[in-house]
Amino acid sequence: MTTEDTPTTTTSTVRLVLSWLLVTVLLGYGIIQTLITAAKLFE
Amino acid sequence: MSLLTALDRQHTVAPAGYSRWLIPPAALSVHLCIGQVYATSVYKNSFIAHFDASQTAIGIIFSIAIVMLGLSAAVGGTWVEANGPRKAMFVSACFWASGFLVSALGIATEQLWLVYAGYGVLGGIGLGIGYISPVSTLIKWFPDRPGLATGLAIMGFGGGALIASPASRQLLSLYDSDYDPNVATSVASGHALVLLFLTLGIGYFLIMMFGVANIRVPAEGWRPAGWDPSSVREKRLVTTANVSAANAIRTKAFWLLWVVLFCNVTAGIGILEQASPMIQDFFRSDGVSTVSVAAAGGFVGVLSLFNMAGRFAWSSTSDLIGRKPIYMVYLGVGMALYLLLALVGDVATALFVLMAGLIISFYGGGFATVPAYLRDLFGTYQVGAIHGRLLTAWSAAGVAGPLIVNGFLDQQGKPGTLTSSAYQPALLTMVGVLAVGFVANLLIRPVPSAYHEPTTPAAKEAAA
Repeated sequence: MTTEDTPTTTTSTVRLVLSWLLVTVLLGYGIIQTLITAAKLFE
Repeated sequence: MSLLTALDRQHTVAPAGYSRWLIPPAALSVHLCIGQVYATSVYKNSFIAHFDASQTAIGIIFSIAIVMLGLSAAVGGTWVEANGPRKAMFVSACFWASGFLVSALGIATEQLWLVYAGYGVLGGIGLGIGYISPVSTLIKWFPDRPGLATGLAIMGFGGGALIASPASRQLLSLYDSDYDPNVATSVASGHALVLLFLTLGIGYFLIMMFGVANIRVPAEGWRPAGWDPSSVREKRLVTTANVSAANAIRTKAFWLLWVVLFCNVTAGIGILEQASPMIQDFFRSDGVSTVSVAAAGGFVGVLSLFNMAGRFAWSSTSDLIGRKPIYMVYLGVGMALYLLLALVGDVATALFVLMAGLIISFYGGGFATVPAYLRDLFGTYQVGAIHGRLLTAWSAAGVAGPLIVNGFLDQQGKPGTLTSSAYQPALLTMVGVLAVGFVANLLIRPVPSAYHEPTTPAAKEAAA
C-alpha cells in the first residue's frame, strides 16, 4: 500500500509551489479587483 | 499511445510519492475558468447593442449554458466516473474553449444563433463536465477531509467570476479605446467582443490544460498517512458501503438531498439575482435612494466575496461538525436571517450587507458541501455521477428563484420606485422555502443496505 510517507522529490516541491502560485495569483487578482469595487459601498 | 488513451483513468494513477496537494490546484484551475459563466453581465449591454437584440434574447445565452450545465452533468456523470478526471477535464476544456471560439465567429458575423450554439450549448457542456470532473477524485484523495477538498475546488467556481469580471472589463478597454467600463451607458464594439472571446477561449484552454497535466487518481488502496479508515465507521450518517448512481436515484436520501439543495439555491439566487437594485430599493425614501449605483455595484462585489469564502469556510467546517448539522445551519440560520432582512433590513446599510452576505455564504456553502454529503450517504464508488444527477436541482432552482422574486416584485410596482416593504412577500416566501429544505434535511437517513453494491465475489455474482 502506498502512503504519503514516501519521500517527495525536489521537483515535486517546485511543482507544488508553482501549482499553488498559479491559482493563487489568479484568485488574488480577482479578490483585489473585487475589493476595489466593494470599497465604493463604504465611501 | 494515442492522446485520448493517455488521458484514460488507468494511465492517470498516481505514482508512489505523488503529493495529494497537487490535486486541489488542478481542480481549481478548471473551476476558476468555468466560473466565468457568472460574469456574463459584464458584456451584456455590448451584446445588446451589437446584435440590436432585446435583454431577453441576450439573457437566453446564459440560460442555455446553465441548463446545459445541469443536463451534461446529469447525463455525463457516469462517463466521467468511467473515464477518469484527466479525460473529463480535457473534454471540458475543449468544449469550453470551442464555445468561446464559435461565439467569436457568431459575433463577427452577427449571427446570434452561433452564440447560442457556441457559448450556450458547447460552453454549457464544458461547464457541466468540468464542474463534476475533479469532485470524486478530490474525495478519494482526501477521505479524511472531503469537505475541505471539495470546498477548495468549488470555491474556484465562485472565484471564477471575480477574475472574469474585471479581466473582461480591462480587455474590452484595451481592445476598444472608446469603451469606458465606468460609464453605465458605454458599450464595447463588436470587434472588441470578438477579440475578448478569442482571448478568453485560448487563455482558459491553456489554464485548464495545467489541471489536465497535474490531475491524478490515487492508486487502489491508497490512504493518507496516519489516517484510520475505521474512524469513518464511528459516525452514523457516514457509510463505508458504496451505492451506484443508478441505485442512488431510487433512494429517499437522494431526493431529500435534492430538495435540500433546491431550497438552499432558490433562496440564495433570490438575493443574488436582484442584489444591485435590492440594496437601492431598501434605502429609498421620498423616491430617492441613499445608495448610489456605484455603491450598489460594490454590494454585488461584497456578495461575491461572501459567496466564495462561504464555499471554503463552511464546507471545511462540515468536516468537523458533520454534514447534516451544517445544512441545519445553512437552512435554519438562513430562515432567521431572511426573516430579519424582511423585518429590519432597512434599519442600517451595514446590517443589511452583513445579513445578505451571510445568506450568500450559506448559498455557496451548500454547493460546496453537497459532494461530501453524497460521499457520506452513498460512498465514493460513483459519487461524481450521483453529484451530476443532483445538480439538476441547481437548474430547477435557477428558474424558480428569479421567478419567485420577480413575480412578487412585478406586483409591487415599477423598478426604481420600490421600497423595502415591496420585498417582504418575496423574502417571507423564501423563509418558507428554506423551512421545506430544513425539514427535508432532518428526514435524511442512512441508505438501506439493499441499495449497497455487493462486496463479496458470491454476492457480486448473485447481484449480476
